[in-house]
Amino acid sequence: MADYRDAPLASRPKTLDPAEYFAVSPAKRKAEEERAAIRAQLKRQFQLQLNDPRRVTTIEDPALTRWTYARVSNVYPTFRPTPKNSLLGAVCGIAPLLFWYFVFKTDRDRKEKLIQEGTIERPFQLSS
Amino acid sequence: MLKILIPTLMLFPTTWITTPKWLWTTMTAQALAIATASLTLLNWDSETGWTSTNPYLGTDPLSTPLLVLTCWLLPLMILASQNHISPEPINRQRTYITLLVSLQLFLIMAFGATEIILFYIMFETTLIPTLIIITRWGNQTERLNAGTYFLFYTLAGSLPLLVALLILQKEMGSLSMLIIQYMQPAPLCTWADKIWWAACLIAFLVKMPLYGVHLWLPKAHVEAPVAGSMVLAAVLLKLGGYGMMRMIIMLEPASKNLAYPFIILALWGIIMTGSICLRQTDLKSLIAYSSVSHMGLVVAGILIQTPWSFTGAIILMIAHGLASSALFCLANTNYERLHSRTLLLARGMQAILPLMAAWWFIANLANLALPPLPNLMGELIIITSMFNWSSWTIILTGTGTLITASYSLYMYLMTQRGPVTTLITAIEPSHTREHLLMALHLIPIIMLTLKPELMWGWCF
Repeated sequence: MADYRDAPLASRPKTLDPAEYFAVSPAKRKAEEERAAIRAQLKRQFQLQLNDPRRVTTIEDPALTRWTYARVSNVYPTFRPTPKNSLLGAVCGIAPLLFWYFVFKTDRDRKEKLIQEGTIERPFQLSS
Repeated sequence: MLKILIPTLMLFPTTWITTPKWLWTTMTAQALAIATASLTLLNWDSETGWTSTNPYLGTDPLSTPLLVLTCWLLPLMILASQNHISPEPINRQRTYITLLVSLQLFLIMAFGATEIILFYIMFETTLIPTLIIITRWGNQTERLNAGTYFLFYTLAGSLPLLVALLILQKEMGSLSMLIIQYMQPAPLCTWADKIWWAACLIAFLVKMPLYGVHLWLPKAHVEAPVAGSMVLAAVLLKLGGYGMMRMIIMLEPASKNLAYPFIILALWGIIMTGSICLRQTDLKSLIAYSSVSHMGLVVAGILIQTPWSFTGAIILMIAHGLASSALFCLANTNYERLHSRTLLLARGMQAILPLMAAWWFIANLANLALPPLPNLMGELIIITSMFNWSSWTIILTGTGTLITASYSLYMYLMTQRGPVTTLITAIEPSHTREHLLMALHLIPIIMLTLKPELMWGWCF
């Protein structure tokens, strides 16, 4: 490749680093080639399906299917109670119920006490 | 009532005798005729409110809007099912329609019942056709699980109700709603009385559903075929609301203290289920959780028992029935084309199907309670009466409204806007039948804005 020199204030990006291309170990290079071959196969399958004139269905994406399955149908089997998620459940699921019970009960009891004493102020004439 | 019941009964022979070529047209036409005839029930001319020609079946301003909604929904269900059922053999199609019609019959008798026992029997009977529709015609393997959850949650809730009704019959001598509204409220002080109070309401709370016992709803709604989802969302949930409104009148004065846990569950449920909507992968699951959220508001309104809150509850039930059913039909139009309910898969549909995008828009606006639609009116009346009950509820209901708006917007933006997915290249154009279906859902909502007296019930 052309002989790029580093700019004085900017470092060379990783893709232009000669070590990336010329100092790669054979094992790493072989692994990269295998991965590229798999990618090329997947792209080929997609292009074949995309340009098939007789296709009427949508192209199925197996990654999307796996992701949807995991998010929708595989939640409980992969759940394990941990301290963090038990705390989350208690904070979001149980504590608010108790909190709001006390808030409403106190507010309503205060209003009931005012009504019993007769000192409640009803500035507006509203049905409810 | 007979002018509704006899044609509904005659839908059964029509299903089995019509030639296959005319089956769907005939069924839709007869169901529409029944729906039009049911509109005459809206003419309440009695001072007592109840319009009944016999002691067993009658209508009053609470049950009439729900009856009309039920009758209106049957032609819509038949229209929606036409496409996905058509590959099946003709007798199976007839069986499917028979199930829908029998569900309709039981629902009409449930809403028209004047005896609470008849209402209870019909409440249970509606479970059977719905179970068969979900487990036989659903699309995924999870439908069996969904049917089990649906059946057993509702049954477990309603068996205590049977015991409670028998106790009530023994105490009062009669279970007719016409009589019970005049009875003396019993002092409910012992523990057994409190359990009786809970037993009366648990069945309806499970059906509504209340937040803690709502697990059956997303499963059942997602796995059901479109007609099953429509009837579940629009009518069967409202059976719970209707039952609660009938029963709660005679459960005073214990309700003042015993209702707190349920009101709090309902209000917190609005926020929790609304937040879950924002994280859903599955479109129908999102709509199902939004149903739970709206019904949470209805449950809270019914449990505080003021005239305004009852009115708001009825208005929201009717408006939500139509809007939610419309959203399920829209989700089905996506599903029939792509065979997938994943939100990420069907994006940018506005570029492909612009007219359907208009219906998506209106349905989502109805769901997020846009003024002047009755969805907003119902929500606003409930929120106002809850504010009067206790000022602090405004925090929960206001946050709930905000979250509702955000997930409705999310649903609209994910399905309609954005780049079209590359995986989709061949989408059928929208059928006229689908446009008709959406119009028949959304035009009544818009028209009800102009005459809400039809929905207000008897408290206004």
